[in-house]
Amino acid sequence: MRRTTEVLVVGGGSTGCGIARDLATRGVDVTLVEKGNLTHGTTGRMHGLLHSGGRYAVADRASARECIEENDVLRDIAAHCVEETGGLFVKRPEDEESYFQEKLAGCRACDIPAEVLSGAEAREREPYLATDIEKAIAVPDAAIDPFRLCVANAADAADHGARVATHAEVTDVLVEASEVVGVEVRHGDGPRKATTEVGTTERITADHVVNATGAWAGQLGAMAGVDIAVRPSKGVMTVMNTRQVDTVVNRCRPKGDADIVVPHETACILGTTDEEVDDPEDYPEERWEVDLLVEQLAELLPILREARTLRSFWGVRPLYEPPGTGTEDPTDITRDFFLLDHADRDGLPGMTSIVGGKLTTYRLMAEDITDHVCEKLGVSATCRTADESLPGSDDIGALHERMDEFGLRSPVSRRSAQRLGSRTDEVLDTDGPNPVVCECEAVTRAEVRDAIDGAGRDLNAVRLRTRAAMGTCQGGFCCHRMAAELEPEFDASEARASLDELYQERWKGQRHACWGEQLSQAMLNHMLHATTMNRDGDPARLDDDIDFGAFDGGDAWP
Amino acid sequence: MTGHDDSDPEDEEHHPAPGVPRLGRDEQEAVYGPDDIVDPPEAGIDPVTRATGPTPDEGTDIAADGGTSASDGGGEPSEVRRASSEPRSDGDLDPANYDAVDVFDTGALDLRDGSDACYKCTSCDTSCPVAEVDDSFPGPKFQGPEQWRLKRKEDADIDPSITDCSNCMRCDSACPSSVPLSQMHNEARGEYVDEQMAKLSREYVRNRILSNYRFFAALASKTPRLANFVTGLSVTQWAGEKLLGITSEREFPDFAEETFREWWRDRGGAQVSDPDKRVAYFHGCYSNYNTPEVGKAMVRVYEAFGYEVMVPPQQCSGTPMFANGMLADARRHAETNVEELVAAIGEGADVIASCTSCSLSLRQEYPELFDLHGIEDVAEHTFEALEYLRIHEDLGGALADAELDGESLAYHAPCHARNQGLARQARETFADVDGVTVEDVGDSCSGISGTYGWKEEKYETSMAIGAEMFEHMADVEGDVGLTECPTCAMQMEHGTGYEVKHPLQVLEAAVVG
Amino acid sequence: MAIASDVLVVGGGLAGATAALAAAREGADVRLVSHKQSTLSQASGLVDALGYVPHTRAEADDDPTATPTAGRTGIRDRPDPDGPLVDPFAAVDRLPEGHPYRLVGTDALRAGLTLFDEVVDGYRGSHTDRNALVPTFGGTVKPTARYPDAVAAGLASDDRPMLVVGFRSLTDFDARQVAARLEATGVPFPVAGVEVAFPAAFRDDAAVTRFARALDRDEAIDGTPARRALAAAVEPHLDAVEGGAARIGFPAFLGDDAASAVRADLADHLGADVFEIPMGPPSLPGLRLEDRLYAALEDAGVRYETGNPVVGRELADGADGRDGASGRVESLLVDRMGTEVPYAAEAVVLATGGLVGKGIHSDREGVREPVLGCHVPHPAERYEWYVDDALGDQPYARFGVDADDRLRPLDADGAVQFPNVRVAGATLGGADVAREKSASGVSLATGLVAGREAAAEVAR
Repeated sequence: MRRTTEVLVVGGGSTGCGIARDLATRGVDVTLVEKGNLTHGTTGRMHGLLHSGGRYAVADRASARECIEENDVLRDIAAHCVEETGGLFVKRPEDEESYFQEKLAGCRACDIPAEVLSGAEAREREPYLATDIEKAIAVPDAAIDPFRLCVANAADAADHGARVATHAEVTDVLVEASEVVGVEVRHGDGPRKATTEVGTTERITADHVVNATGAWAGQLGAMAGVDIAVRPSKGVMTVMNTRQVDTVVNRCRPKGDADIVVPHETACILGTTDEEVDDPEDYPEERWEVDLLVEQLAELLPILREARTLRSFWGVRPLYEPPGTGTEDPTDITRDFFLLDHADRDGLPGMTSIVGGKLTTYRLMAEDITDHVCEKLGVSATCRTADESLPGSDDIGALHERMDEFGLRSPVSRRSAQRLGSRTDEVLDTDGPNPVVCECEAVTRAEVRDAIDGAGRDLNAVRLRTRAAMGTCQGGFCCHRMAAELEPEFDASEARASLDELYQERWKGQRHACWGEQLSQAMLNHMLHATTMNRDGDPARLDDDIDFGAFDGGDAWP
Repeated sequence: MTGHDDSDPEDEEHHPAPGVPRLGRDEQEAVYGPDDIVDPPEAGIDPVTRATGPTPDEGTDIAADGGTSASDGGGEPSEVRRASSEPRSDGDLDPANYDAVDVFDTGALDLRDGSDACYKCTSCDTSCPVAEVDDSFPGPKFQGPEQWRLKRKEDADIDPSITDCSNCMRCDSACPSSVPLSQMHNEARGEYVDEQMAKLSREYVRNRILSNYRFFAALASKTPRLANFVTGLSVTQWAGEKLLGITSEREFPDFAEETFREWWRDRGGAQVSDPDKRVAYFHGCYSNYNTPEVGKAMVRVYEAFGYEVMVPPQQCSGTPMFANGMLADARRHAETNVEELVAAIGEGADVIASCTSCSLSLRQEYPELFDLHGIEDVAEHTFEALEYLRIHEDLGGALADAELDGESLAYHAPCHARNQGLARQARETFADVDGVTVEDVGDSCSGISGTYGWKEEKYETSMAIGAEMFEHMADVEGDVGLTECPTCAMQMEHGTGYEVKHPLQVLEAAVVG
Repeated sequence: MAIASDVLVVGGGLAGATAALAAAREGADVRLVSHKQSTLSQASGLVDALGYVPHTRAEADDDPTATPTAGRTGIRDRPDPDGPLVDPFAAVDRLPEGHPYRLVGTDALRAGLTLFDEVVDGYRGSHTDRNALVPTFGGTVKPTARYPDAVAAGLASDDRPMLVVGFRSLTDFDARQVAARLEATGVPFPVAGVEVAFPAAFRDDAAVTRFARALDRDEAIDGTPARRALAAAVEPHLDAVEGGAARIGFPAFLGDDAASAVRADLADHLGADVFEIPMGPPSLPGLRLEDRLYAALEDAGVRYETGNPVVGRELADGADGRDGASGRVESLLVDRMGTEVPYAAEAVVLATGGLVGKGIHSDREGVREPVLGCHVPHPAERYEWYVDDALGDQPYARFGVDADDRLRPLDADGAVQFPNVRVAGATLGGADVAREKSASGVSLATGLVAGREAAAEVAR
């Protein structure tokens, strides 16, 4: 039977995109399917920390070593996705001195550069730190943008011949003669309409299927009739409106809730909690979780108590432990990753699953699984993903010298270049006006249009690529502008549907920040969209037709 | 040594006049001469010498007649409360303000958090007079909350357009969310000038000169006739434009034959003594060197209401320095002002300014930008001259029987008055006074914004902004202008040829006669 | 007390101005204080009275208190509202209990609109009780009771062919999309959209006031007067719409002080009627309305000042001599840059706005009215302040002070909190003005009643 592709990767998170890139650059014909946007699952719901390994330096030194090695690699190959913020492990008076010393020793043992700062030195670096912080360990933590990272991996895979299909949900795993031979997907709305018909199903056959669906791995496994005991664990993250810190701030104490603040682009992300859930897509999002983050982290940064939060979101970790381990507390489950060869494990050839792990080591995980798949396929090419820059990260050096050429305000061109990396010229060098569409995040029309070229009419995908609608007003002032950019490629009804999706998605996270300035913002957004635009009462959406003749036809018009 | 207010306690019998120097023309040298531009006015003066009055805790009295003790409570009417409720001592000084911790001891403030209040409504942009006439100016929302939020700590690329902001601060009163817009603009401009403006550029030198107006005014007023002659020469104007970029379209203001402080000294200082009813007059540079009649009007009016007026040593309020991003200069001047005014407040005085930019600077920009001992108290105790009387005196009653001989005045509310809630007070005050009509000439900005309209490249923008005001002035009945702000007055005169008065002068005519 | 008046109005928006005018008409001596410029610059300039009776959760029967979940967003079969309503007055009875319209009645709404008609020039719609449907920049039509002259030629009940013009450097809408969306609403006229480059010489981020001024003064842009340049950009597209454009809609930037001259000139050049499509903030029609209201205050002899917040109040002692026990507000404290100055008054109107105008504050713990400390009813559980559907029946949208039918604020027990205070506009709770399209009407109706009531309080 003719197969559609050599390897089919399910899951468009960091691991899936990393695998697709690795396979494609080794010359393997690969197709990636993702049911939502790239990063729709766990990858898009993380705090954006590129680990130095310091977090694991006491409890899990193997992971810590992997982290610092990959941290180095990613600064190199994904420069435009990484901000070298540095990190601090800060100690409050009530935190154990012995743990501080263990952390320091652990970092040194794992070759993680670590320097002890006095409280005053730490505050000099980050003035908003609480005045009673006693001391800190400085480590090379960094901030990473998982969206750009995945998009760059997917783009590189595509450049090497891979097919990347988003909004393509696997509805069945095809098993023939006790072997996985492919999947059936249903194409949803979102990607470029030119490629596939919305609502159609497609059978994609493959020599090998890679299950890189993380927290959803159990669900995909069930379609193939195998049991994968993923233990999804949710964690909450709260996004602050501004950067209270420019350095990653960790609390130096044994694992616990609410102990990290990561500066991310224009914002800070507070994290997190760790609570096991049954279903990675359906679990309660509760107030106490948000309040806990703010209260606890205010012990490190008192300003957080008064500062504005934009939204909160929850991510689900794809934790896994081998059957029979029986860990009670999810916080004790290993953060390591596991490669499940279903041929060995379940007597079902044709499929490999990858579970567990973390974004910092995504490339290493991808390399492992790609080695494994290539061995099965008899491909002998070696991995190059640690040595070759991702698209957008080559030759960034001269960028800042050219930023003035695009006729943009300095902060706008700086931000654009930070997002676009080496693609800056190509994207911003346009004819015609290039006004700023999203003022909060300084995203221009050129960048939005470029994202539409790549992501189609799904404005949430455009948002992830550009950060448009991710700032202060949470899309209140720009999501309709983004929808306007869909003209003329998409028709007006598609644009309206895209706008509705984006507006609702933005609201989903803002609900959790509905007090103070953000509630005032929500009301202003509500007035703009409901009062001024009348989007809620749009006659085009209502069942009844309007009798236009019954309304005021104007007085004597001079 | 010069530059010292020599109020030796032993000498008091011989020098009964409060605040009167014994050091000639102007007892305070400019604290600061622009680097490498000119020599200090007198050889041998240390350019950072400051006039230092004794501090309150030394227990001496600096400028009040008769040596009342500093612990004597300020005589404020009981119905007016300070916004802060801490217990008082030292006159009306608030001890809570004396242990400020400046977390940003580097001097630069991190104002990214100011962006938290912004909900992007863009009202500020509609209030911006520069954005309305200049499409290359993106407006206060971008310059303030957006630019700050996009910044990272180490980022040094402030958009150069920040220098096009005239610091009129209208955006502050437009913003429904109390975003610290002008503070953000001031900090950004300061950072831009520090980090990105070449210190040898003509622009920098010119701005330094303009913002240190006081320094040159002090020089000029030593020989006012000569100064007026020289600045009136077309060759001077030509040179100013060609060499420095100071527009030749404007005429330099005339320097008074006698400064306000000279007049004050010659009249023997305060004529009214009342330890329970004291005000310290912050006259600002312009009333001192150029329009002493405004200062005299203030003194006479306040004395008519029974106030004891003190005239403490003082420097420039910093307004032109903020507008040019010269924050270090402004801070040096602020140190003197705050120290002297804190002492006066300790003596029970409130601080009165006749210039709305000076009062705004002391009330808003000082506490926003500097962390000086007592700066909050100075801010809390400062008022504009007319505002203070409206709060504490029965002005309506005092004016009930006043009669003026048919004055019709075209009133322009300075932007800086607007921010203090004073835009309507002159009109309301004189609304029922016989023989005077005050007509508002609209709510536009006059366009000069202090030193802004003096810059050759800004002159056109300045006049475009002022156009609306000139038109309204032509429309109203009167042909005498009225405004609280000396540079607005310059612009009004420049655009229409009208003589321009200060409300205090009208009040003086009505109350003192 | 140096600063005193009969009536003290706090808040300078539509409700505050209406209250001040209504009280002044009753002969009271009125002072209005406003912390900042009003939020009229954020309003479209349309005067909506009542356009819809939206569904409420009580009818929709879904549980607002269900914990938000990761799996749920947005619309789950949002019920259609009742509307767009032809007659705003007829539907008032169908609004929920406690809605400001239910408190003051349709007569107050009529009287408020009449007052508006009398003091504000340049508006239409008073010739009929029927709502007008006007195009929005979102490509929908919306029902409104009064509309500026500038909008009149754009009415959706007029069947003349319409051309919608967008500017390429303007991001808020794409004219082609707006036209297609209007078509989808079933409008009875042919409509097309076109994007033009105007004014190409301006930077892309020029302020809207810059456009307006260039047109106001007909400034030469690259040598061509602005109005002519704009007409020239549009002219080639007049036939883009079937039957030729009889009326042309522009984003509402067509001048400020000279707006009608700008439209007349453009109409002259183009041979078609010209109208504006109201935009979101910042809104020139909103600013023009603000100017007219303040001119009306001036004419009515109302003293007003802007720039300092009211931060507190002083209460009269009770009959028993207890401090502040009477609940009567004697004076409000205005913070003049660090010093609290009392403004004495016999009666107070509180019209400080709602969540947008900063008249209602909230934090993680609760919702409050900061100036007087009026009671604001709200669920104790923060997660009951909203529902999943962004455009659904949001409880937060109705947050505000509870009042009796004389607009006196009520405390948690339903008793009058301050007998000489009246509350007006968005500070009042109980309306979802955004979905009802009732914001201006609520301000006018309650502003009018509050002002009259305050004047009556003085007379007593």
